[in-house]
Amino acid sequence: MSLDIDSHIRHSTRHIGRSVPRREDRGPLTGRGRYVADIKIAGMLEVVLVRSIEAHARIVSIDTSEALAMDGVQAVFTAADLADVKTFPDYIPYIGPVKQRPLVEDRVRYVGAPYAAVVAVDRYIAEDAAALVAAGTTYEPLPTVADLDQALAPGAPKLYDHWESNCSFDVAPHKPEVDHAFKQADHTFTETYVSQRQTGLPMETRGVVADITDGTLTVWSSTQSPHMVRSTIALMLDMPEPQVRVIHPTIGGGFGTKTHIYPEDIVVPWIARRLGRPARWIEDRMENLVASVHARDQRHTVEVAYDDDGTIRGVRCASMLDMGSGEIFMPGTAPVFVTNACITGGYDFENMEARTIGVVTNKTPAGAYRGFGIPEGAFVMERIIDRVARLTGTDRVDLRRRMLLRPEQKPYVMHGGGRLDSGSHSESFERALEMTAPALERARSRYADDPDVRVGVGYCNYVEPTSPSYHLTTGHWGGGDAATVRVDPDGSVRVAAGLSEIGQGNTTAAAQLAADMLGVSPDDVTVVLGDTERAPYGLGSWGSRGAMMLTGSVLLASERLVDKARAIAAHMLEAAEADVVLTDGAFHVAGSDQPSVSWAEVGTAAWIRYVDLPDGMEPGLETSGYYHPENLQHQLDDTGKINAAASWSNGTHIGVVSVRVSTGEVRIEDYLVVHDCGTVINPALVEGQVHGGVAQGIAGAMYEHFQYDPDTANPRFASFMDYLVPTCAEVPPMELDHFESPAPEQPLGVKGCGEGGTVGPPAVVAGAVSDALSQWGVDLTECPVTPVAVRAAIRAAGTAGAGAGS
Amino acid sequence: MKPAPFDYCRPATVAEALEALGSSESSRVLAGGQSLIPAMNFRLTDVSVLVDINRVDGLASVDCDLGGVTVGAAATQTRVLEHEGAAGVVGGLRAALRHVGHLQIRNRGTVCGSLAHADPAAELPALAVASGAVIAVSGPDGERRIDAADFFIGPFWTALEDGELITEVHFPAQPPGSVTIVDEISRRAGDFAVAGLVATVQADGGAVRSARLVGFGLGGVPTRLETAEAAIEGWAADHPADTLAEAVMADTADAFDDIHATSWYRREAVAALTVRAARQALADAEAA
Repeated sequence: MSLDIDSHIRHSTRHIGRSVPRREDRGPLTGRGRYVADIKIAGMLEVVLVRSIEAHARIVSIDTSEALAMDGVQAVFTAADLADVKTFPDYIPYIGPVKQRPLVEDRVRYVGAPYAAVVAVDRYIAEDAAALVAAGTTYEPLPTVADLDQALAPGAPKLYDHWESNCSFDVAPHKPEVDHAFKQADHTFTETYVSQRQTGLPMETRGVVADITDGTLTVWSSTQSPHMVRSTIALMLDMPEPQVRVIHPTIGGGFGTKTHIYPEDIVVPWIARRLGRPARWIEDRMENLVASVHARDQRHTVEVAYDDDGTIRGVRCASMLDMGSGEIFMPGTAPVFVTNACITGGYDFENMEARTIGVVTNKTPAGAYRGFGIPEGAFVMERIIDRVARLTGTDRVDLRRRMLLRPEQKPYVMHGGGRLDSGSHSESFERALEMTAPALERARSRYADDPDVRVGVGYCNYVEPTSPSYHLTTGHWGGGDAATVRVDPDGSVRVAAGLSEIGQGNTTAAAQLAADMLGVSPDDVTVVLGDTERAPYGLGSWGSRGAMMLTGSVLLASERLVDKARAIAAHMLEAAEADVVLTDGAFHVAGSDQPSVSWAEVGTAAWIRYVDLPDGMEPGLETSGYYHPENLQHQLDDTGKINAAASWSNGTHIGVVSVRVSTGEVRIEDYLVVHDCGTVINPALVEGQVHGGVAQGIAGAMYEHFQYDPDTANPRFASFMDYLVPTCAEVPPMELDHFESPAPEQPLGVKGCGEGGTVGPPAVVAGAVSDALSQWGVDLTECPVTPVAVRAAIRAAGTAGAGAGS
Repeated sequence: MKPAPFDYCRPATVAEALEALGSSESSRVLAGGQSLIPAMNFRLTDVSVLVDINRVDGLASVDCDLGGVTVGAAATQTRVLEHEGAAGVVGGLRAALRHVGHLQIRNRGTVCGSLAHADPAAELPALAVASGAVIAVSGPDGERRIDAADFFIGPFWTALEDGELITEVHFPAQPPGSVTIVDEISRRAGDFAVAGLVATVQADGGAVRSARLVGFGLGGVPTRLETAEAAIEGWAADHPADTLAEAVMADTADAFDDIHATSWYRREAVAALTVRAARQALADAEAA
């Protein structure tokens, strides 16, 4: 592995690796962010969607007459009006097609499904009218399925009549070596682990504004993927792509929920086109909780074969995803595949036979959420290790040490094909253990005099696939991204890329990179993201791909730009190209005290003063780079394996918790993270990603849970009174440390870091609470770890014990 | 999340407020609006006339003397929390208000509004019952005073009649030598309680002499724990906790289930809080 970062750096004050201040924050923090809801266009109409209050029903009739009679109501549209709109594509061949219409035609499959759109002069009137449409809707209720068991029961009501059952897909590889492991092992146990239903919950809900002028449709959408929204609008509304412009303005977070393309992304532009007036829809929080995708919601049935000395010989894991109704584009099927691909974490463990199943139910469609299946798998693996350690009397830390990947084992191919070229799997764990010792000591002494409190420790060693291929996920899009770099006549730099800025700091990172590569200050770099008219085609921000894709594409484009600029400068300096170097924004002849040529002089020559150009050189100073990591695979190979991520970050999370036995209250005393995402572009950005990720992980470990009524599949939540999002009071202080194991196949060694923070907390908290309550045999198998769950586990102890081995 | 149409008025006197309240069956009083406005935006509450009492003369006062603390209908929770004398006279006020919502909520939310809203998981109704508060009400038929013990009828349901307005609540001074402890289990800081306890305890000589125990978040109204009040008399730190806990369990058989907690959890939790409060009161008495 040889990385030559320095050869790309042309600024004496290197910006890569420094915490250059974020340029994304000024707007939002001073109230000057421009979100979709801030966009006002003269004559703009308000759209409110009417959503199903039934979980499963035929719509018999919709009486819109009372709504249409209201002053201020311009139109009410139902599915019949949208007959000219194409159906959302079912691109993925291996899952059941759902033939999703932008508005539901005749059958609703979850509470919250949109079946009518009211258009009015303001939101108040639109909501009054929507209430009338809702009251005028006649349903014929159908039997519901509220969970996996109900959905798979013999004779269960089917969501899709043309399917054989509610099973969307079932991929069951068979590994003979795992059979062999089970025959050889001393013991086995079986268990079921559950990761509950949650959502990414951005502070800014979704929203769409659409306006059509002179034949061009402009759409402002709170999306993570403007180009994919453009392609889908063009396809479904039958418009040429150049006549559709999609812009994401300031985004108040996405966390995966905004990678999908929703009915509103199609319906609102259609309304603007149909009425010839600008239209907007802003999702309110009640809608958001049922109309934006949910996530996690997986159940894992495992069989584990292990030996007396704690060696885990083999694991069979059936991972089952509750997809909700499945009516979302792109489908939310991929996370459970990622769960299985990543389930073995940072451990050397190949004897994993992982079956992947997706099932539809009468709930909000499941989709993407930061972590994208990784936390669910990490939870299963760490709980298995703790169980085996307990059953065999093996030390939990030693067992992990024995299993963790050592440096000499890399490159290491995981059981599903993931290729770990580099990483600090065992080193991160050792470092985190060092950091844990004083934290544990503090917690123990704090509660030494309180017999009601027990202290415990939990561990998680994970890998984080970053910059994935989107092909298996979408059945359509790939996994590369483009950037364009331009130097203008005044010497200032413009970078445009297909990435989005949804808060992570991609804009800052792009400016840092371009500054170093072109030898200028970041302040001289203008960055354009999130506008399909101004930026090259890109897939947007998801999958922790921003850092890798930006560095890859900006580097390619910058090198091409510097090559051309050097040729121009050499001509102006009357020197050989090979002798001309670029440093701190000026070209000069190496070793000479001859005056230099600035970017402004080169830019002016390229765009305006052609007399300064070498003979025959094409004018202009703008170059593009399309970065497509070579090691990224888009399809399964002959053995059914795939390396679907361009790099694999890794990390260790350890938590020290206290548990109050009498009430079941859990407090995270200290949370320690050692993190490795290869070359760090901006330490502050990376730390911010880890902090925020851990906070969301804690949400899953202890708080957030979408519950449904088992008899009716009705949501048992309507607001933040029911869906508990942790606040700053619930998120503990964190201690961070980093390793940098560069990605060998990325020009700067960069890996992604957006999601790893979410991975550890469920495994860590469940592990730590189980450790704290080990005297009762508590061994938690699901999240969230609530006071009730803790008390229930203590009460159950003594009757059931914790999964006795056979 | 926009409310259905409603009329709004902002009277200057109690008489005007009562007139406005009487103008429609679905008129409602707006004080802090921390529960009412979200309910209107969710279209869960049908309001035809919203009567804003924040400009009514004299309703925002907080008066304190040796006999107790009197809080006007428009006085915010922050105002009471920050009142210099109130905590000394009614110790439970500060203890309870610290658990109510967050700073922003307390800056608008009112003490009387919380009583009128009667959320079964709220702290202030339990404090009112525990401390023997009296609620002053004006209505079309004149004024009346209602003991807190008689005021709460069910979840979000009080003895207030149509057209009536709480004008103030009087919390009597707590008995000399007693301590009031407000403790609760909530899922997050500032949430309504999953289960909570207001305990006014008199202790000396290493034993509890008497206590008034009121649980909340258990049933439809604040729950007086009478068996536990009997069991706690004479209880000392070296006595078994089980006797107290069992008494609480006997008092709380009707505790409810919801998505945040089960009935049995609520009962266990209040039992644990009761033991904790008794120990705390004994420790405080020893330190005093």
